[in-house]
Amino acid sequence: MKSVKRLLKNGAASKILLFFNENPNCIDTAKGISLWVGGDANSIQKALDQLVKEGMITSHQTTSTTAYAYTNNKQLVKKIEKYIKNM
Amino acid sequence: MNESEKKEKQEFLIKFSKSSSVSAFRSLCSKILRKSRCAFLDSEYKPVKCGEECNHLKLGKYLARVKSSPSREYMIFECSCGKICLSFPIIQGSSIYGYVLFVHLATKPGKTAVDSARICMDLALKEFQKEQELTKLYETIRPRAIALSTIHTIHRLLSSTLDMDELIERIARLTLQVMRSRHCSIMLLDESKKYLIPKAVINLDKEIPKTDPKYKKIKLGFKLEGRVAKTGKTVLLRNSICVPLVEEDIIGVISAGDKINDAPFDKFELEILITLAEQAVIAIKNAQMYEEQEKMAYASIKTLAALLDSKSPNTFTHSDQFVKMVLAIAEQMKLPREDIVNLHYAALLPDTGKFSIPDEILKKPGSLSSREYAVIKKQHLESLKIIEPLEFLKPAMPIIKHHHEKYDGTGYPDGLKGVQIPVGARVMAVANAFEAMVSARPYKGKKISMPQAMKELEKNKGSQFDPEAVNAFMQVTKKPAFKNILGASS
Repeated sequence: MKSVKRLLKNGAASKILLFFNENPNCIDTAKGISLWVGGDANSIQKALDQLVKEGMITSHQTTSTTAYAYTNNKQLVKKIEKYIKNM
Repeated sequence: MNESEKKEKQEFLIKFSKSSSVSAFRSLCSKILRKSRCAFLDSEYKPVKCGEECNHLKLGKYLARVKSSPSREYMIFECSCGKICLSFPIIQGSSIYGYVLFVHLATKPGKTAVDSARICMDLALKEFQKEQELTKLYETIRPRAIALSTIHTIHRLLSSTLDMDELIERIARLTLQVMRSRHCSIMLLDESKKYLIPKAVINLDKEIPKTDPKYKKIKLGFKLEGRVAKTGKTVLLRNSICVPLVEEDIIGVISAGDKINDAPFDKFELEILITLAEQAVIAIKNAQMYEEQEKMAYASIKTLAALLDSKSPNTFTHSDQFVKMVLAIAEQMKLPREDIVNLHYAALLPDTGKFSIPDEILKKPGSLSSREYAVIKKQHLESLKIIEPLEFLKPAMPIIKHHHEKYDGTGYPDGLKGVQIPVGARVMAVANAFEAMVSARPYKGKKISMPQAMKELEKNKGSQFDPEAVNAFMQVTKKPAFKNILGASS
């Protein structure tokens, strides 16, 4: 719970979570996501790494591509939704 | 006016009264009409809340005046407190959407002021319409652009592997992700085209072993998947979605079930799954073609090995166990798949380089003279020319060529040292030496026991052999599955 709160205070992470909450079917690269949410690619990449660590974002990796998607964890999605509503 | 028209007009007016174009209109009008306050009424004369509240409007003190004379023209009148008010209708096409009211004007406005206010209103309306069109365009295009980008990313993820098992697993995982579902399965038709064989069955809540009934083949026409495979038609149900994998014919199906938020699947998701299935078919076909090519390449190499063997048995090729040992070391070292394939090719023809070496040198027991050693080095390169024209063996050539190099640079043909030696060659050198030590080749001198051979490898780690390859080999020997390989080699 605390981590969701803390991450939503981080501008880039909160933009990413808002984006995936609105577009849960999306899978995209860090570059693609930075285009959709706006903001500089480096901070988006850092925020994505942090969100993957926290389990809120899933990464799909191959030797040449890393793509990111919204977590499939129902409870976590509910928590994120709750915090987004209260933002 | 029906209910939906009424609702549409109200929504339009609310959005318009809150739009940025109205803010500009308000500030212009306050200059033209001097300190007036502005409010909006809907087509039923109800006040539209838009920031600047007006008590008069709430009380409806002068609404009756506007109501009593609905006009397509402007109207100037006095409110109950005797102050001057102005109203004119907001017209879209042929219908009145509502009214704008300016209350408590300082003076009675002249025709020029009213016309100016009206022009400002028309401009604000046009600006608002443009904003609306852009918003609509954004709302329509953005989700499609995001979906397109998702499909492009999926294409990149799928096209980066040619390994069928890895590919099918990846398709299933991506389907789960995109469909936001709890279950997913990928089934391919068998050769008879009568049964669907489940290749990947994933459940988010628990791991499904291959022995689970869910992995049982399904007869065409039976169950949801069987029906889709038979008819080629997609199925969209509340909790299930299934699409066929179609190339020229149907090759299988992808199905997903139970969304994680318990919502029903919708048409948009069906559209995405159909596109994902199109990408998956291309990737599956590529992997199948690659598998066939690999099989052909192995068959060609085995034919060549058999031909060489018929000239002199066990001279140019090694045992199956040798090949398995080489591959086991490579896997232990976690070499990339492409390197392992090339190593496999090389391990099937390791000693092609001996082809033109005279038998008296090749089969001489004991150590070689420097002249004999020079002949071996020269003939090793000459012999490799036999396999040079085989295009698919090109990546394996450096392994075959350099597996007699020594880690300290004292080997042949080029005296390469350490990592200059291709990694496959370093792996093959370890397996080759081990097999030579534990096997009873007539020209290799006495065979030694397995523990002794392993000690030899350890002893020469870093001088003759790559330490990493020797360490990996030692790990391999500890695995129960490889006891048979070692037993068969010794």
